[in-house]
Amino acid sequence: MASEQPLLEVDNLKVDFHTPTGIVRAVRGLSFTLGRERLGIVGESGSGKSMTGRAILDLIPHPGVVSADRMRFRGQDLTAMDKGARRKLRGRHISMVMQDPKFSLNPVETVGSQIAEAYRIHRKAGAKEARERSLAMLEQVQIREPARVYDLYPHEVSGGMGQRVMIAMMLIAEPEVLIADEPTSALDVTVQLQILKILDDLVTERGMGLIFISHDLHLVQSFCDRVIVMYGGKVMETLPAAELADPAARSRRHPYTLGLLECLPDLGHPRAKLATLNRDPAWLA
Amino acid sequence: MTNTAISVDKLNVSFGDSHVVKDLSFEVRKGESYGLVGESGSGKSTVLRVLSGLNREWSGTVAIEGAVQPKARDKAFYRNVQMVFQDPYGSLHPKKTVDDTLAEPLAIHGLDNAEARIGKALSDVGLPASFRFRYPHQLSGGQRQRVAIARALVLEPSILLLDEPTSALDVSIQAEVLNLLAALRQERKLTYILVSHDLSVVGHMCERLLVMQFGRAVEEMTVETLAARQPQTAYAQQLLTASAGFRRAG
Repeated sequence: MASEQPLLEVDNLKVDFHTPTGIVRAVRGLSFTLGRERLGIVGESGSGKSMTGRAILDLIPHPGVVSADRMRFRGQDLTAMDKGARRKLRGRHISMVMQDPKFSLNPVETVGSQIAEAYRIHRKAGAKEARERSLAMLEQVQIREPARVYDLYPHEVSGGMGQRVMIAMMLIAEPEVLIADEPTSALDVTVQLQILKILDDLVTERGMGLIFISHDLHLVQSFCDRVIVMYGGKVMETLPAAELADPAARSRRHPYTLGLLECLPDLGHPRAKLATLNRDPAWLA
Repeated sequence: MTNTAISVDKLNVSFGDSHVVKDLSFEVRKGESYGLVGESGSGKSTVLRVLSGLNREWSGTVAIEGAVQPKARDKAFYRNVQMVFQDPYGSLHPKKTVDDTLAEPLAIHGLDNAEARIGKALSDVGLPASFRFRYPHQLSGGQRQRVAIARALVLEPSILLLDEPTSALDVSIQAEVLNLLAALRQERKLTYILVSHDLSVVGHMCERLLVMQFGRAVEEMTVETLAARQPQTAYAQQLLTASAGFRRAG
């Protein structure tokens, strides 16, 4: 395992937005490698966690500019590729599940045909094969009556089902890396756990690499192997997920990580007043 | 009787064919903070909309401070019972300044001294006076939610209905808003009903809570029972387990 080439290597990734009022630096020098594991990226809104996912997929909108000293997918240099080559990777080898199924599915096409389309494009398959594969995929994401759901429109499915449809669509081409951007934050806790189970099985059984972007520290801690904590576009620290909850590891934690953990209400340890976060400007220096 | 702030008896709500709240009964004491917990579709927000007078299609009995409420409420009711909504991005008028937003309820209720009241409401929620002439897009999510709380408090109500007041906010901002709500309750002896899907938020803010599923009350419990993770019903136990995070089988 250790000798195996990492799926993704990112070194000094930067995302800048050139606006009329100046340059907004959304990501400032992020480095990490991803193996066949669950890597969590946590941070508050505006910390650059979603932009990191988009930069890997080459989906940063104008006027954003991505630069990196190194960005490789299984040894292939992403920074040297043209738009067309990046597009061929996208969806087929590296895929992304967005946060909200309501805004990410095409409202005027049935969910089944959207999944089938993804398969036909990436696998150059015929309509019949694509349909069969799509039904099998729906079943794999725990949808009970795939044949019925296949013909439904997005507004006819619940939030949890819509998210599973999205996951099915992203996974049907069998990508090696999946970037999940808050895939469960719009869902109820019980549905959330079902979705996580699906993602978890893919990592363990198929050896997929998963980047799990979330603001939920509890979830990341219980689900991921490693965690990157981001603030203001910078990495505060990278740590094994289990250490987030470990009181013995507290002294080694970055003050920002500790601050985030402490402002969460905890059923087991009631407090009259929640701690609030004191942001240190030196963190962004 | 006088000790009861809100009492709901056999509340039923239907939208067309779907029966979304079924025979719901509960009581909230004065000065208490009461949680309504459940998954989407459990009817918890609908209950708040009935209590606040936003939803007029219901049957059953709703009494506020001993007075049985008609479907259409009077002006005095709205002054006494105010609501704070989930989404601070959607619940403020984008073309009205903070000052306009806070002045409107005062004008409706014909309260004098608007200038001083608005200034006080802003300082009560910890916003600087300079924010008064800003538009919502010039505020962060946490600041907007503070404005929404100020808008509710400017009428000096005794009951606040809170519909997921922090679920759209980052955890650090959530902590600030929850602290603010807790301090205001203590200072003004307010009664809260807090709707949330987050059991740890309800555990932090409330004394008692009601777990709902498919429009029915499943279990009422004290926050001590919640903290000890010892609910009586299987559904409440399932919710608690699910909210503890992901667990790998085997």
